[in-house]
Amino acid sequence: MRANFIFSEVWIGLRRNLTMTIAVIVTVAVGMGLLGIGLMINSQVSSLTGYWTDKVELSVFLCEKNSPFPACKNKGAITEEQKAALKQTIESLPDVERVDFEDQAKAYENFKDGGNNSILLSVIKPEDLPESFRVKLKDPDKSTAVQDSLKGQAGVSNIVNQRQILESAFGFMEKLRNMALGVAILMVLAATLLIGNTVRLSAYNRRRETGIMRLVGASNVYIQLPFVMEGVIAGLIGGVFAAVLLIFTKVFIFEQIQTYTAAPLTWNTVAFVITVTMIIGVVICLLASFVTLRRYLRV
Amino acid sequence: MIHFDNVTKVYANQNRPALDHVSVDVDKGEFVFLVGPSGSGKSTFLRLVLKEERPNSGAIHVAGKDLAKLSNFKVPHLRRRIGCVFQDFRLLPKKNVYENVAFALEVIGKPRRFIRKVVPEVIELVGLEGKAHRMPEELSGGEQQRVAMARAFVNRPMILLADEPTGNIDPATSIGIMKVLDRINRTGTTVLMATHDAAIVDSMRKRVVELEDGKIVRDQSRGVYGQAY
Ligand SMILES: Nc1ncnc2c1ncn2[C@@H]1O[C@H](COP(=O)(O)OP(=O)(O)OP(=O)(O)O)[C@@H](O)[C@H]1O
Ligand SMILES: [Mg+2]
Repeated sequence: MRANFIFSEVWIGLRRNLTMTIAVIVTVAVGMGLLGIGLMINSQVSSLTGYWTDKVELSVFLCEKNSPFPACKNKGAITEEQKAALKQTIESLPDVERVDFEDQAKAYENFKDGGNNSILLSVIKPEDLPESFRVKLKDPDKSTAVQDSLKGQAGVSNIVNQRQILESAFGFMEKLRNMALGVAILMVLAATLLIGNTVRLSAYNRRRETGIMRLVGASNVYIQLPFVMEGVIAGLIGGVFAAVLLIFTKVFIFEQIQTYTAAPLTWNTVAFVITVTMIIGVVICLLASFVTLRRYLRV
Repeated sequence: MIHFDNVTKVYANQNRPALDHVSVDVDKGEFVFLVGPSGSGKSTFLRLVLKEERPNSGAIHVAGKDLAKLSNFKVPHLRRRIGCVFQDFRLLPKKNVYENVAFALEVIGKPRRFIRKVVPEVIELVGLEGKAHRMPEELSGGEQQRVAMARAFVNRPMILLADEPTGNIDPATSIGIMKVLDRINRTGTTVLMATHDAAIVDSMRKRVVELEDGKIVRDQSRGVYGQAY
């Protein structure tokens, strides 16, 4: 096998179909890029889900003097007896693991640590923040049931279920992921058709050469390899662009939102995703060129 | 060398056979003309030898191999032992004489050292010494056909098939082409040439196989073109 012969044929083929080659590279790059983004979001969702599930809490906020919640209307602030009774009620629930009381000073500390901006911090005083019970559950899946049974208890203004907040955030990420994967599938389809077309054009352009090759007894591998390589090289270049896109996505999007998530996307995951998309891209190009060759290049 | 036993070939969508129960034996080193009117099946015969087409019935042996039993995988190896020349030369327009001939060896993976040695030899054999770096468009029809013959012969095939090699060439130049074919034949290569050219057939006095409507109507050693019984 004479490698330089094959490569010069491949190079000529790629240049001769330059516009088609560029179209293939762009579709493969976009398709594999979106596939990679989908995979990265997916790994984020699962690692975040794992991280958060055992930290899920219910925040049971208590009535203050001028609480805007309907449950507190005209009742004034919660009394100490009510507070003690409520704590007992919560602790007696079978699914509750632990109850912590968060007073206004503590709430202010947490608010300050929460990364809120300084303008907001300057107008908010500890007295503005409500007191609450932080309820840790034995089984995070029971959060809604516990929430329902505490609703309407005397002195309770509002119950925030972190699980529901997380679920809506995850739901959003999952939607984003599905969209990325959906478009990626369309792109892969488009890339397949484009590669098929490129190979067909290439086979037509090189019909003299391949005709002579057949006559003088070149083996099928020798005749087909330049075409398949054309597809594979276009796929590889597309894959490299996709990799660059994924690295940018990691640096400029995932690292920006990382401050809010406790499970950052690691470079290992990015490397894994890039490898997977590269392999998928090249294999698709390989198959697409091979299948088209069967149809358009008689051997 | 080439053995046809009761071979019939009917192309798809055709009811008349292109070859109709044809039996021929060509020995090693023979020079055979295949003559007959247009559509009589000459090119079909040559394509069957190359296994470019398959017969509907009958057996074909080439160089001792039963083509029916030859797997597709091995067809290229058969073709490496058969050279081909056509009426339309089939040269690559963007390659010069040397490169056109070398192409045949490159694509079957011959080492470059070997190519550099044999290509000039064969270019000289066909009478094109000094023209190795000309492009096909800078050559006459006769010279282009010599390049094609050099390419067909460069791998020293056992059989050379020529389908109307003088079809596009004037009679005076054709004589030169025939001289090259004769020279190739003298190296021991079996030559099978389909032609319409009566003058050439008559002057060479070689074996003549005449086809008509796919049937052999004459097989004569040291024959002439027209019917001469
Ligand atoms: N690929 C094909 N498909 C269908 N029919 C074909 C095909 N090739 C040849 N034929 C038919 O087979 C018959 C023999 O054709 P062939 O080309 O062998 O004749 P030929 O003797 O070479 O003619 P010519 O002297 O004009 O080259 C003709 O009737 C032709 O129409
Ligand atoms: Mg013919």
